Amino acid sequence: MSRESRRAKDPFEKKIDELMPEDINKVLRAFHQKLNNQYAAYLNSCVRCGLCADSCHYYLANREIPSIPAYKLGLVEQIFKKYFTFLGKKAPRWIKAKALTRDMVQEWIDVLFGRCTLCGRCFLNCSLGINITYLIRAARGALASVGLVPPGLQSTIDITVKQGNNMGIPKQDWIETVEWLEEELRIEVNDPQANLPIDKKGTKLLYTINPREAMFFPLSILAVAKIFYAAGESWTLASENYDMTNYGFYSGDDDVSAFISDRLNRSMERLGAQTLVLAECGHGFNSNRWEAPEWMTKRYGFEVKSILQIVAHYIQKGSLELDPLKNPKPVTIHDPCQLVRLGGIVEEQRYILKQAVTHFKEMNPNREKNFCCGGGGGQLAMTRFAKRRIEAGKIKADQIKRTGAKIIASPCHNCIDQLLELNKHYELGVEVKTVCEIVADALVI
Amino acid sequence: MLAILSLGVIISFFICATSLIFLILRTFSFGKRSLFAKSKGEGKKGIFYAFGKGMLPWEKESAKRHVLSYLAGIFYHGGIFAAFLYLFFLVISLEMTIQIKSLLRLLAGIGFFSGISLLIKRIIHVPLRKISYPDDFAANLVVDMFLALAFLNTFYPVLKPYFYSISIILFLYIPLGKVRHCAFFFYARILFGLFYGRRGILPRRKFET
Repeated sequence: MSRESRRAKDPFEKKIDELMPEDINKVLRAFHQKLNNQYAAYLNSCVRCGLCADSCHYYLANREIPSIPAYKLGLVEQIFKKYFTFLGKKAPRWIKAKALTRDMVQEWIDVLFGRCTLCGRCFLNCSLGINITYLIRAARGALASVGLVPPGLQSTIDITVKQGNNMGIPKQDWIETVEWLEEELRIEVNDPQANLPIDKKGTKLLYTINPREAMFFPLSILAVAKIFYAAGESWTLASENYDMTNYGFYSGDDDVSAFISDRLNRSMERLGAQTLVLAECGHGFNSNRWEAPEWMTKRYGFEVKSILQIVAHYIQKGSLELDPLKNPKPVTIHDPCQLVRLGGIVEEQRYILKQAVTHFKEMNPNREKNFCCGGGGGQLAMTRFAKRRIEAGKIKADQIKRTGAKIIASPCHNCIDQLLELNKHYELGVEVKTVCEIVADALVI
Repeated sequence: MLAILSLGVIISFFICATSLIFLILRTFSFGKRSLFAKSKGEGKKGIFYAFGKGMLPWEKESAKRHVLSYLAGIFYHGGIFAAFLYLFFLVISLEMTIQIKSLLRLLAGIGFFSGISLLIKRIIHVPLRKISYPDDFAANLVVDMFLALAFLNTFYPVLKPYFYSISIILFLYIPLGKVRHCAFFFYARILFGLFYGRRGILPRRKFET
């Protein structure tokens, strides 16, 4: 397909082609604003040893040079050197310093959005310890300043900003879903008093969800409600500002990211809960636990925890009675990158599953060294890169096959969507569940 | 002549050191990132990890899967440190024992062959060549010549002017190109340690709720 016909069919391509010099300058200004001492240090550090190549699931899957993390970092570094270093200005070819042009913008989009899930595996394995992940995010954010975020990802953000959650669920629909789930809970636990509190003030926990659960996987909300019921927890849901995802994290737009995360902050203030509990979602956890206070430049006055920390605590103090025989099939765990490698929730899920299933198997590598499933970084929303996403997911599919497990537990709904696709594409023949669903299945009430 | 070159080594060393300090300080001109999220672990422990266990080949997949490159890198840098130490002894006219001189010679020699092997790898390994900049080849060559002359000078003191000359070139080149990582390595590793340590990811912690 020629560039002309591509432009005609794809308004995003057209937008790139019509970039004006002032747009390029705006990208540069945004990039400059995103730099700090840490990023500047990283951009001076890469020695292009190339050892990062094998850490990237994209490169392992397609062996293409632009998939090498050092190449991706190089795209950012070349711009940095051109505009912010002496040698880059005086002898640009010597260090491949390049001006930001329309072609470069095109490559930034294709490589930094289309060949990276921001999984952080290259950061962990870099010989020097360069946070390539966050530099790529910074460059994405610079593109976002002129609206050059690939359409699927941008529309998810727009829906979140305009309608309060990433699925655009109206408030009334959400409340009705909660009421329906409450009825289901009462039947499941055989207790007409069992409830899913909504907007209850002064509880210990405020539980926030990924709206995909309400839309497509309501049973995962029910599973958590069942766990809270069994543990006798003081908790509530919120009728609004309950979306714990933050796709601004993937677009690199810090202002939008701060705006979205601040909604949870406002819910906490409105309801006066003590702890903000985040559903099983990798980027939602990293965003709200670690990044949001930096985006908002303020400290939280409350605790932020993953539901996995809460459930592990229940099990540890004996608040839940579990019968692992109810989960007899072999189970393996997928470690979502943003939750584990970048979020620090590493052992909780293992501790929980070892109590809730009879046969737990680790993937190899695992924990912070896990491979990305390929669904992160906003890839699921960016359909233009879908083929690459499925191709890159082969590394995870092979890992799953090697375990011989029949169930994959994944504490992340983004990952679940990708794993479901991998399951179909690579014919893995497995079930994909959240950790809480497995725990709920094992509950003795 | 040798006295002038010796002075040149000292001056170029100070230019190099000053430039590196300037480059490091300049990173702060981009603003310092303040952290507001509550820590889970300790940054200090992360830094110890980054410079200790975190450098071991089995801790990092990139090293584990490329043991030869990892070892070449270790020997290369070991050789460079040895050659700098040897240069220091020469410049301040400090007598070396035969054992120290032999050790430095050995390290510089191994370092040279490691450097050359890494250069050859960069030339013949297509993906590595494609991500390389001219500076990557030049930096390697300058350092390899420095190592070669350090090694040879331990046998033939007559080569001292050449060794001093390449040392001056190296010192002046360090802040300009990729060899600046001799300073930024420590900076980046500290940041790596702070990131993972603060988030309680590395070093691995025992499970606690």
